[in-house]
Amino acid sequence: MKLSLKTTFFLLAIAMTILIHGGATGKMNAGKLNLPKTVGVWNRPDAPRLINSKNIFKYMNGAGELYLGYRFRHLEVFDYTSADQGNILVEVYFMESPDDAFGLLSLDWGGEPVTFDGSAVTKSSQSFTASTRALYGGGLLRLWSDDMYARIMAERETPASKEAVLVLGKTIATNTQHPSEPGLTKILPLEIDTGWKLRVDRLSFFRSHLVLNSIFYLSHENILDLDLSAEAVIAPYEHISGSGDPKRIQFLLVKYENPERALQALNRFHEAYLPEYKKEITADTAADSPRLFKLEDGWLAYKLLGKYIAIVFECPDPESARAILQKNESNLLKKGGGS
Amino acid sequence: MKDKMPVLTRRDFIRGTIGVTLGASVFGLQWPRGEARAAGTSLVIIVRDKNAMDSTKDVDIAVLEKMLAETLTRVTGQKNTKDAWLSLVKPNDVIGLVPTDHLNPTHDEVVEVVKNSLIDAGIPKDKIRDAQGGPRNPKKCDALIAIPGLKAHWLTGIGTVLKNYIMYSGSPSSYHKSNSSKLGEIWNLPFVKGKTKLVLVDSLYPLCDKGPQPDPRYQWNYNGFIAGTDPVAVETVCLKIITEKRKAIRGETWPLSPPPICVEAADKAYGLGTSRMEQIQIINYGWEHELLL
Repeated sequence: MKLSLKTTFFLLAIAMTILIHGGATGKMNAGKLNLPKTVGVWNRPDAPRLINSKNIFKYMNGAGELYLGYRFRHLEVFDYTSADQGNILVEVYFMESPDDAFGLLSLDWGGEPVTFDGSAVTKSSQSFTASTRALYGGGLLRLWSDDMYARIMAERETPASKEAVLVLGKTIATNTQHPSEPGLTKILPLEIDTGWKLRVDRLSFFRSHLVLNSIFYLSHENILDLDLSAEAVIAPYEHISGSGDPKRIQFLLVKYENPERALQALNRFHEAYLPEYKKEITADTAADSPRLFKLEDGWLAYKLLGKYIAIVFECPDPESARAILQKNESNLLKKGGGS
Repeated sequence: MKDKMPVLTRRDFIRGTIGVTLGASVFGLQWPRGEARAAGTSLVIIVRDKNAMDSTKDVDIAVLEKMLAETLTRVTGQKNTKDAWLSLVKPNDVIGLVPTDHLNPTHDEVVEVVKNSLIDAGIPKDKIRDAQGGPRNPKKCDALIAIPGLKAHWLTGIGTVLKNYIMYSGSPSSYHKSNSSKLGEIWNLPFVKGKTKLVLVDSLYPLCDKGPQPDPRYQWNYNGFIAGTDPVAVETVCLKIITEKRKAIRGETWPLSPPPICVEAADKAYGLGTSRMEQIQIINYGWEHELLL
């Protein structure tokens, strides 16, 4: 097989970058990842520790539930040690799909965006950008690359350890696909006419009620019938009033396998969360218009949209709740959902 | 038809009806038991030293020793470390040290300082053991010293004092989901109940979000010990520190999610101590920078 001149140059450039910046020995035998045996003053053992769903609790106790809350395949752990510079821990989580890997990164958009392809770092408030796939802060690099989510953490943050962490991140991200973020995240409009703006930096994609609770607590029980077949996105919308004091609501959109599952879940949610309100949810009644409830923390509105459920929490008035639901429904229909 | 059990939801927190709902749905009629507890005061001591751990996370053993001595005498009201220990344990007790062994573990130096301090107090070395792990460990001990690391936990809100004994249940993963509020019941298992003589929280380098996996963006040098004999009161003070740190980081209220129900449940359902700040006397010594109380 012949390689084009451009491809050959590209591959050569990557190899040189690792050798020059990381002091890598060139021994890259850690399976798919090809992580260098040596980076700077840090060395790893020949083989990674392999963690799967059966032994994940032994490796990380209850933190394992987070990864099992997405569609987790396995984890490879590399311990880079040094004589006197602290260690660097590399954890690469192999997930069933890029959506799952994205979901893990989306749980915290904080940190300094990092790119590995030389492009300018941008942090857009308008949408996710291709560059927001890696975030660095305090010695920890988190990245999403294809179906992988990685955490690379230096025990001690120094210029040298940061460089090593970034080299390792680049190695993981190199030669992988860069799929788009989950389709569900693109449904949420960035702005609602009435002045509400989506906080993209707080948008999270998930499948599990435990993960939902870690973002926005709803109930210790799984009252929305979430499981690994579901997809969900939650994000706040914020409204800056004249006084400068922002009002914030939470918007939740869940996609189920089929309309029947969605209806069943909405029934369960209503029963648990709104027990004092008479339940009259059928596929027809719930799809007609949003149902609104005045609760202790503001207005709650929900609507069944085929196999989707949209819910607005903590809204200051029913008009805003209705507007946010309507705009999301409209976007959903435009993008071919809702059936 | 039998009425369905109410489900605890976000609305219970807003209404302040956690107790009623949780009592009915999870604990049966036992919830009021804690309410009837004598309204005493629990003492929580905080001892800090800015030199306990430096920015490269090197721990100064000599400073830790002084901090421990201060903590012990303040918690017990005794004049010296030896008397303090002997007011908590008997010389021939088998003493189990229970550090957090995994993910933001208790610093080895802290465990070592505690162990040496016990030996200096006249406890034979072979009577002191690591009691973290399965239920067999506490069964072999007469007294337990809980030495957890201070951290937030993504499943339970906080994962410090109450969670430190989760392995004693023999089925830790059963406490990951809706049962996470029931961590207090582990402290009432027959082979655990009444054995904890001191709770000493390693708060040298706490974690206020995303626990138990470490994330340095949410960790900071607090350089302290938080201690007492009431595990719930100590946990409540830990909770306050974590909550205040989160607020300082974001510049706005940033509640723990999920809310740490296990703390209130440990008080009101299991009677392990008090979770009411008005019933906790906090006394701090040493470094006052960002005390967060």
